[in-house]
Amino acid sequence: MTACRTYPTERLSAFVDGDLSATEAAAVRAHAATCPDCTAALADLRALVANTAGLDAPEPPPTLWPSIAGALDKHEPRGWFSIANWRPFAVGALAGAAVVGLAIVALPVLRGTQRGVPAASPGAEMVATSTATVDPLLHEAEAEFAEAAAAYERSIEKLRGLLAREEARWSPQERTRMAERLGRLDDAIARSRELAHRTPGDSAGNEQLFAAYQQKIAFLAAAVHRGGEEGEWDKAGAPTP
Amino acid sequence: MDNRSAAMSVKPPTKPMLGATAQLTAQLPIDGLGLRPKAAAEAKVHAPDTDAALVDAIRRGDAGSREALYHRFKRRVYALAVRIVGAVDAEEVAQEAFIRIFRGLTKFRGDAALATWIYRLAVNAALSHRSRRAAAAQPEAPDDVEAQVSAEPARGDAVLRARIERALARLPVGYRTVIVLHDVEGLEHEEVAQILGCHVGTSKSQLHKARARLREMLAADGITAAALENG
Repeated sequence: MTACRTYPTERLSAFVDGDLSATEAAAVRAHAATCPDCTAALADLRALVANTAGLDAPEPPPTLWPSIAGALDKHEPRGWFSIANWRPFAVGALAGAAVVGLAIVALPVLRGTQRGVPAASPGAEMVATSTATVDPLLHEAEAEFAEAAAAYERSIEKLRGLLAREEARWSPQERTRMAERLGRLDDAIARSRELAHRTPGDSAGNEQLFAAYQQKIAFLAAAVHRGGEEGEWDKAGAPTP
Repeated sequence: MDNRSAAMSVKPPTKPMLGATAQLTAQLPIDGLGLRPKAAAEAKVHAPDTDAALVDAIRRGDAGSREALYHRFKRRVYALAVRIVGAVDAEEVAQEAFIRIFRGLTKFRGDAALATWIYRLAVNAALSHRSRRAAAAQPEAPDDVEAQVSAEPARGDAVLRARIERALARLPVGYRTVIVLHDVEGLEHEEVAQILGCHVGTSKSQLHKARARLREMLAADGITAAALENG
C-alpha cells in the first residue's frame, strides 16, 4: 500500500512483472524516481512476490497413496473411499492436527532458544533436555502437544469400540488377522513415541508419532466400514480411508 | 531480549521438517503396513525420465510408473489442495484429484504439458469440493494454518511464512487460485490461463489485484515492508 495515489498497487504489481506497455512502464519508472512512497511500494511488492515464491509445499500424509491405489485397483465407486465416510471418526485427530502443526513448528524453536543454540542442532537438544529453567511458552507448547496426542487416542478409542461390535460378527480367523494388524500398528505407535521422547526437540520425531496415530485411525475406520473380509481392509497391508 | 523474542528470532533452516523427516523415514517403525519409508518407496520405482514416457508406461498398465507419477506430482497437488480448500480437506481433494488424473490419462493427448494438465484437474477437484461444500451449506473446515499463527508480531522466516499462508487462506478463492498457481507454484500466465480456462489478460489482472489485496491483509496483520524484505 502506498500513500501516493498516482499508481494503484495493481499497476505497480504489473510494473514489477513487466506487464505494462513500454510507455506506461517508463512513466512509472520516472514517477518512482521522485516518489519515495512508490519506490517503497515497489520494493515491498518485490519482497512479497519473493516471499510467496518461497512458501513450502507440505508433504502429503502417508495415507494418501494407499487410498488412491486402493480406489484405482478396486474400481469401486469413489464415494466408498472418500475420507468423508470416516470423517466423523477422525474429527478428534484432525482437530489435533492444528495443535500438532503449532507444536511441531514451535517446540524445536523454543527448545533451541532455551539452550541458546539454533533449533536445528539435534545434538545440542539431546544434551540440553534437562535444562532447569523452563520457559512458560515451552510448557504451553508441550501441554498442547499432549492434548493433541490425547485427541488422537480418543478417536482411536472410539473406533475400537465400534470395531469391537463389528468383530462379533466376524470369523475367528478374521479376528485373529485383525488383532495381528492392530498389534503392529500399536508397535509402530510405541516405537514412534519412544523416538519422539528420545529426541524431544526434533520435530520429525513428533511428526512421525502423529503419522502413526493417523495410520491407525485410517486402518480402524476402513475396518469398521468394510467388515471382516480380510481382502477388504488388508489388501495393501494398510487400509484405505 | 526475553525468551519469547529470542525464540522468534531463531532462524530455522529452510523447510526444516522435510529434511529431518526424510532421514527418519528410513527407520520408520511402520514399515510393512503399506507405509514404506518414503525414500525406499520412491527408490523402488524405476520410472521413465520423461513425462511422456511415464504416461505411456502407465497406459501399458505399469503400476510402478503409476506410483512414480504420484511421487513426482504429489507435493504440488497436495499443496494446491491445502491452499485452495484448507488443510483439513486437502487429503480428500488430493485423493479425488489423483483418481481423476489416473482415470483421465487415457484421454490425455499431450496438447498441454503433463504438469499443466495435472494442475487443471487438481484445481477442478478443489473448486468442485468447495462448491459441494457450499451447496451442502457446510461451514468451512477450520484450517490449521490459522492455529499455527500466533498473535505475536512476525519475527523470523517461519512465522512470516505462516502469516502469508494465513493471508492467502483469507483471499477470495479466485484471487487465491491465481496467486498460488503463478507466484507460489511458479507457472506462467499462459499456463494459468489454460488451467483456469480464461484469457491470459484475465490471469494477469487477477494476479495483480490478488497481490494488492494480499498486501493490504498483511499490512492489517502487522506485517511491515521491512519484515517482508528481511524475510
